[in-house]
Amino acid sequence: MNHRHTLLAVMVFMVTVMTMTDAALGETLYVSAKSAQLRSGKTSLDPVVAGLKLGESLEVVKREERWLQVRTAKGVQGWIYATHVSESKPAGGDNELAALGKGFRQTEASSVTASAGARGLDKASESYANRAGITQQHRDAVDRMTANKIPDEDIQAFLKAGRLGEYAE
Amino acid sequence: MLNRSSRGLLVVGLVLFSTAGVTGCAEIQKAAEGAARSSGNERLAKTIHGGGTLIGGLLPIGYEEEQTIGQAIALQVVARYGGVYDQPDLTRYVNLVGRGVALTCDRADIDYRFAILNHDSINAFAAPAGYIFVTRGLLKTIKNEAELAAVLGHEIGHVTQKHILDVIQRSKQIAGVAETGLAYANKNPDAFKNVIDGAVKKLLDEGLDQGKELESDRLGVIFASRVGYDPTAYETFLDRLRTLKGDDRAFFKTHPDFSNRLSTVRSTISEQKLKATGILLADRFSRSSSGAL
Repeated sequence: MNHRHTLLAVMVFMVTVMTMTDAALGETLYVSAKSAQLRSGKTSLDPVVAGLKLGESLEVVKREERWLQVRTAKGVQGWIYATHVSESKPAGGDNELAALGKGFRQTEASSVTASAGARGLDKASESYANRAGITQQHRDAVDRMTANKIPDEDIQAFLKAGRLGEYAE
Repeated sequence: MLNRSSRGLLVVGLVLFSTAGVTGCAEIQKAAEGAARSSGNERLAKTIHGGGTLIGGLLPIGYEEEQTIGQAIALQVVARYGGVYDQPDLTRYVNLVGRGVALTCDRADIDYRFAILNHDSINAFAAPAGYIFVTRGLLKTIKNEAELAAVLGHEIGHVTQKHILDVIQRSKQIAGVAETGLAYANKNPDAFKNVIDGAVKKLLDEGLDQGKELESDRLGVIFASRVGYDPTAYETFLDRLRTLKGDDRAFFKTHPDFSNRLSTVRSTISEQKLKATGILLADRFSRSSSGAL
């Protein structure tokens, strides 16, 4: 009886070690594209199983030429096009030093301008335009440029029509 | 027995120590400043406050400030280059090519916007925060979408590497200016104008350093190739520019030394093993631009 218990314990231990080794071998990569699609198969014709965001971590299951089989942190498994991942985590937005600088500077800034992403020029840019004598026509042009949005689906459709990116194969 | 100044320093030190683990540096600075003030040492409080300004000025420029700077520079580019060319379909096409390339560039988290300048000269510019311009003259010189993708990739490279911000940071340090961006722009708009005008002069009149141009050539061909465009298209394009004559040579003032640029592109293609995919999309380019230029 004791012997059987020992054997069982050894087997459990071995399975645990094997599982741990397997997990340790699974390389971690990060989504490096602004957005990316996880597909059920390794072609762009296969259905999308999940939308991925920049910086998301992925565990590599298998590599096959231009496509990688990966598992997300939520456990969803699928295929992603190789140029959409990188080995290092993208910095994203401000790096640590820039964020630190922003923190320091904000203690100085009593009035914060409107976000540049909103429609209309920044308060500071508007003030610059006044001082530099920029015409209303040119201000409107930069304003339109700032506000110009193209949905991701349109960019994907454009790439697909040109057989570019993951749509090349 | 500690004197007043030492007691102040001790209090400030204790505050720094106790807050360091849980709060950001700005909060630490504020807390230390408050501690110095409440211990009756106004001079120390002012020093800490000034130290924050100085350190804040030396640290890299954040994205919010980059947007302000980019927008101000964009205003000057548009004003100096004949305004934006009003061709919505062609502008959308240039944006689709550019944003397709930007999707997998090395700084994919920010918005990139592209506009055509109503100018016959052959040129392209990138302002911080992804404001990218190509002239009508440049589009006339381009033969296919792969060439356009690499040109836009080159400009995206200037943004990913923050080349203009680097120029601003250096000029600021030389001038002893401790702040920039929002605080600087709002508190001292005339000084902000000087910073922007200096950056515009470098971008439009003097041109960036050769090292920055070569780095962007390298990145341009890599970014375009990631999407699947044939990287040799950029080589063909640069070779075509080299043979330009007359007024078109104005481009050489801001983008010098083509033999160096060509050899950089060739070595990037071979070292990075970039695949000659044969994807040029000349038809799509000519369909999108015909009659619009």
